[in-house]
Amino acid sequence: MQTLKGSRLAIFLGLLPALVIYIGIAIVPIGLSLYYSLMNWNGIGSMTFAGLNNYTRILSDDTFWLSVKNNIVIMATGLLGQIPLGLLLALLLNRGLKGSGIFRTIGFMPVVISSVMVSLIWGMIYNTEYGMLNNLLGLFGLGDWSQNWLGDSKWSMWSISVAYIWQNCGLYMVIFLAALQNIPQEVNEAAELDGATGLKRILSITIPMIRGTIMVAVVLSISNSFRVFDLIQILTGGGPAHQTEVMTIYMYNNAFINMRYGYGSAVSILILLFSLIVITIINRIGREKDA
Amino acid sequence: MNRNSKPFQLFAYTFLTLFAMINIVPLFWMVVNSFKTEQEYSSGPFSFPKVLQFENYAKAWEIANMNVYFFNSLIITFFSLAVTVLLGALAAYFLARFKFRLQKATYSLFVVGMLIPIHATLIPIFLIMQKIHLLDTYWSLILPYTAFHLSLTVLILEGFMRVLPKDLEESGVMDGAGVYRIFWSIIFPIARPALATVIILNFIYNWNEYLFALVLITSTELKTLPLGLANFVGVETASLTLQMAALTIALIPILIFYLLLQKQLVNGMTAGAVKG
Repeated sequence: MQTLKGSRLAIFLGLLPALVIYIGIAIVPIGLSLYYSLMNWNGIGSMTFAGLNNYTRILSDDTFWLSVKNNIVIMATGLLGQIPLGLLLALLLNRGLKGSGIFRTIGFMPVVISSVMVSLIWGMIYNTEYGMLNNLLGLFGLGDWSQNWLGDSKWSMWSISVAYIWQNCGLYMVIFLAALQNIPQEVNEAAELDGATGLKRILSITIPMIRGTIMVAVVLSISNSFRVFDLIQILTGGGPAHQTEVMTIYMYNNAFINMRYGYGSAVSILILLFSLIVITIINRIGREKDA
Repeated sequence: MNRNSKPFQLFAYTFLTLFAMINIVPLFWMVVNSFKTEQEYSSGPFSFPKVLQFENYAKAWEIANMNVYFFNSLIITFFSLAVTVLLGALAAYFLARFKFRLQKATYSLFVVGMLIPIHATLIPIFLIMQKIHLLDTYWSLILPYTAFHLSLTVLILEGFMRVLPKDLEESGVMDGAGVYRIFWSIIFPIARPALATVIILNFIYNWNEYLFALVLITSTELKTLPLGLANFVGVETASLTLQMAALTIALIPILIFYLLLQKQLVNGMTAGAVKG
């Protein structure tokens, strides 16, 4: 801007405080994580160089691979649960039905409530003796179906997945709804004239029209699945016997319970790496389909 | 145009109602049971309370240290929010309204932050806070909350300020006002709608945050609401009705907040998620 030239110092001073905090606390730690991941350190003694030792030890730990498996379950829950459900809800809410606004409000509510609260509420639902779910089953004469939903490793990952869908599908619903409302009315009218109605129109016109948004939602869902922590930490703490542990919990336990900061940092770098790899692959697939 | 056939409407309403019930019943069940005695609850978790046990609330408030947690959450949320929005607005102003070297690079640097997962920075932040003796203080949360929300704040505010008409500052320049004066008395007030979005988003994210608090705060008297609640439920396992009362106390303000500011929250959180 010509009129405001000659204020380079003012610009610098204006950006400085934000940059210092942001770089110091959000950017530099990424580099530090990488550095610590090559070190052997328990926080008290001296740091010693460990090379790739931490990484080889992580990759040969069965518990780590169990946590990777659980991350894949969470990712699948997002892709096969949250996204289709969110899309279905959005399609229903986009039909101009009376009361759509109320359903949207209710649907988005869990997204606004803290994940801690969501987890604690689901903890009560799943409570073996006094929980809502087992009591509800009893009420319908299905008492035999009662389970130790979180303590039984046969069920625990399923239970977590249901809570995870409950917590987030409203977000995808709103994302899809916004995209659907952006489809020009003429497109729908033209489709109707061509005889494309109902399910056929949705599959051949609507879904392709919001493909870009679906891709964004897929990437978002994947990157969120790698960040899951609060829900599992509070519901099961990763138990029983590591059966519901995900990578972030594995990292937390190693770094902050066992005080292995180098090892924990290496895990956090691996999480970053894994999520980058998966997202790159997904983006590549998405682009190939475009061509 | 009525394009919805009767069978479709039936299906849609059944499905949507079922979905709404699954979202609401757990909360409703919790609120109802929070008014019961412990015996009443264990004998009939689906009945309505005979007498509303308001004592549960008094007790939960007392035992769970709710006043302490609410206070801490308020302080930390508002301080982080104020710092983030002020510094973010200032940065956005210079990025949006001026031309200088490295302008694009600086902007990209800010935006990239939205991709950084918190857990990848957790251990270094913990060690940095330990080193500068801020561990287990309000600052240990205010600084990371600010750092991690500057990206979205700058992104939204810069987008708003960039499209403001160019001659906006001119009258200020004529009067001989400096760049800061122009920011404070012209741009900042005009950016109010974008500031509102950013403030609401920062509020909800800071208010709900758990992972940083879990790692960086250990003293009971400094715990935030999510951390305190998680702790209380972990310790007070004997009385579910007290847990429910405590959770309801924490739930009500956020529900009111949501219903009042629904539009901004839905749009803002969706944009925030999609852009990241």
